[in-house]
Amino acid sequence: MAQNFNELIMYSKTFSGLTPELEVCLKDIAPVITPHLKQVTDSFYEQLATIPAAEKYLAGRIEHLKAAHLKWMINLFELDVDAQFAEGMYKVGDIHVKVNLPVEFMAGAMTLINTEIIKLVIDKMGSDLDKCSKALQAINAVTGLALMIMQQSYQESSIAEELEKFLKISGMSRTLFTNLAKAYN
Amino acid sequence: MRADMLTSVLTELNGTSGDIEASGVISTDGLMIASVLPAGMDEDRVGAMSAAMLSLGDRTAQELARGALEQVLIKGDKGYVLMTYAGAESVLTVLAKPNAKLGLIFLDVKRAAASIAELL
Repeated sequence: MAQNFNELIMYSKTFSGLTPELEVCLKDIAPVITPHLKQVTDSFYEQLATIPAAEKYLAGRIEHLKAAHLKWMINLFELDVDAQFAEGMYKVGDIHVKVNLPVEFMAGAMTLINTEIIKLVIDKMGSDLDKCSKALQAINAVTGLALMIMQQSYQESSIAEELEKFLKISGMSRTLFTNLAKAYN
Repeated sequence: MRADMLTSVLTELNGTSGDIEASGVISTDGLMIASVLPAGMDEDRVGAMSAAMLSLGDRTAQELARGALEQVLIKGDKGYVLMTYAGAESVLTVLAKPNAKLGLIFLDVKRAAASIAELL
């Protein structure tokens, strides 16, 4: 089903509390934060390496994953949080389904990332409480928003994948399935 | 015209035995092509469910090495549902009473399915 990314981003903003003011804040702090995000990525993958269940998703592709992760984090600070942003985050969720990554990995990973970024923000801006507080609010809002979109995409992609499997096993055509569903609407 | 002819085959089929309560010809995509159903029976649901069951029956016969599917028979305490292909692209579904004499019904359904296949 085609996703309306304009609607999705507006909807996600209402939940995450990402206000225009906080969006501006993200861009303001980007020059201070983004040069240090590589450390966050490295630290994140070091922590992932200690989780046995994560091992099979990391083996032989750490450098590739790190590069994608760093780019994803930089985007949180530098991109406009608009429909295109939502589309990008949606694709991330979709990819996680395609590599069979368990759903809890996304929320778990986001917690680890937030912990690292909070440390970084306090380290760089802790002397200015107002600035630090607003930066933390903005980061919490944008990571929450990203997670919400990725989880929605994950859920929809999982359902689509399960349906494909069911259709293949049952021998039903997609049209038949649609007609069956319509008959029970 | 074709729908009338199909309805006529179904009416004749329903008339061959007092045990047959309803019948319908359905596309393999689950859309009703012609039917003689009792009032109140949802045509869309009968159509989609029949095609889905036949599709599953097809796959089951294939997976469990039972050869080409001839029919799917469902028995409930209020009667039978019998589904069979009528040509490659349509399904003939018959609803029968619980005490129906199945041997005769199988024969009549087979004949009707052949007539329907010719019409389609």
